[in-house]
Amino acid sequence: MTRTMEGEMTGNAAQALACCNDTDRIDPYGFERQHDFESYREMMNEYVAVLHRRSMRWTKLLQEKPQVEKNLTVKRFVRKGVPNEHRTRIWMAASGAQEQMESKPGYYQSLLAMEHDHKLKETITTDMHRTFPDNILFKNKAESGLQKELFNVLLAYGHHNPTVGYCQGMNFIAGYLIIVTKDEERSFWLMDALVGRILPDYYSPAMMGLKTDQEVLGELVRTKAPAVGQLMAQYPGIWTLVVSRWFICLYIDILPIETVLRVWDCLFYEGSKVLFRVALTLILHHQMEILRARSLPDVCQCFKEITCGAFTLDCHNFMQKIFSEPGSLSMATITKLREKCRQQILEEESRQP
Amino acid sequence: MAYAYLFKYIIIGDTGVGKSCLLLQFTDKRFQPVHDLTIGVEFGARMITIDGKQIKLQIWDTAGQESFRSITRSYYRGAAGALLVYDITRRDTFNHLTTWLEDARQHSNSNMVIMLIGNKSDLESRREVKKEEGEAFAREHGLIFMETSAKTASNVEEAFINTAKEIYEKIQEGVFDINNEANGIKIGPQHPTTSSILTSGQGGQQAGGGCC
Repeated sequence: MTRTMEGEMTGNAAQALACCNDTDRIDPYGFERQHDFESYREMMNEYVAVLHRRSMRWTKLLQEKPQVEKNLTVKRFVRKGVPNEHRTRIWMAASGAQEQMESKPGYYQSLLAMEHDHKLKETITTDMHRTFPDNILFKNKAESGLQKELFNVLLAYGHHNPTVGYCQGMNFIAGYLIIVTKDEERSFWLMDALVGRILPDYYSPAMMGLKTDQEVLGELVRTKAPAVGQLMAQYPGIWTLVVSRWFICLYIDILPIETVLRVWDCLFYEGSKVLFRVALTLILHHQMEILRARSLPDVCQCFKEITCGAFTLDCHNFMQKIFSEPGSLSMATITKLREKCRQQILEEESRQP
Repeated sequence: MAYAYLFKYIIIGDTGVGKSCLLLQFTDKRFQPVHDLTIGVEFGARMITIDGKQIKLQIWDTAGQESFRSITRSYYRGAAGALLVYDITRRDTFNHLTTWLEDARQHSNSNMVIMLIGNKSDLESRREVKKEEGEAFAREHGLIFMETSAKTASNVEEAFINTAKEIYEKIQEGVFDINNEANGIKIGPQHPTTSSILTSGQGGQQAGGGCC
């Protein structure tokens, strides 16, 4: 039932570039880039050297130590980017997905074979044509289309974790996983690692983890960019408006795909803290622009604009920035803030009817 | 641009009924056949004229999926109008109206004007909900009702504008306390006497209002 996509999309960096379809302006991941193909191509022309170098380093490292360990060397390697040909392996190993998959052979297939919840099936179906309509691999009638794989992964996950079921945003995440791994079962286990272990409860009905992290970001901004914090404080509920999509979609369709995948390298290896680093970097780097906003619509617009352009497209540089620009950000701080914000939200909610 | 009043709207209803498409048709006069999923809350605005007065509509478009209710709910408060949308080609979306309405009534101010919208009226051949059923539901619950098509733009202007008219009438009748922003109404900066009363800090300084 699990199907490996035929025709590897990205063998190595050079091949990845070669797979760019210039005539149709399609990137190696299947996305049509009508508006920004030139800038993407230009960036990739430079980035290919980095990819090539990283690829050789990784190959050597994995030859010497086939087991992906958690240590400073590997952490540094991950932060500098995992080349596409090693991504599945590194993500699977670092997140514990590999171990889960090996300990439960046949489990994924059994989820697909069981009788399915009608409502869940219908909800997922509703979003099929709305998931990456700009990607040739996800088009309805595409011959080697990935819609079936996407549907299967989401359906299986919904039954595996009925508390969450299916929440919008998960469709995009599963889509990216399938694009990268080209394998349904691995995508499922990576999904399980993300939703079940790496991320706080972003996707459960109360969305407590999401609400909490939005406020945590607010607190961090108050400390690291007090003027922005002050501006945002004028508009209650604004964090949901400007960043809920960032967190729920793990930056898909917010940042360029290469950048998202680089962020995900760290997400799988280091955990959810990196999501704050990205958000903080975007905000700190664009303080001046944000502070010019004079109204709520201005702020919303500004938060859309700061995710675009050369700053985020140049993924290698951007990734260096996220580890320098926000300064120190310890897990202890995050844990403490999460606890504090969670309590505040619970108190607020208990006061409401 | 200066406005006499600003009304806040919220658009609610099941996922895939066309909420974002209605908003896009109203603000940009265009239709996008495959619209992005709304994750969380999005935002749109447009100026309209009622009774010779410029009125700015600030419209909050919410994710329709059930999971998101816990975060979209907080946007009911501070809305003067709500567009409650269902899809005439999917009976389920009509059946869920009661839940939406309860949710809206529970979390909004009691004067909020609610417009019930049966969207996708261009898909007559796939219709599952009769127009009369929509009318009956609206009558029973004291809502205004219209069938619209975000695709052909049929009745879209009317839906947004008629809601504003109703709010405007309520203001004339003194039903709304317009100095309390929690009602989803703000007096524009061109009313010097009243705007100085606004205490939130943003009303006064926001000369001209942000463009969108």
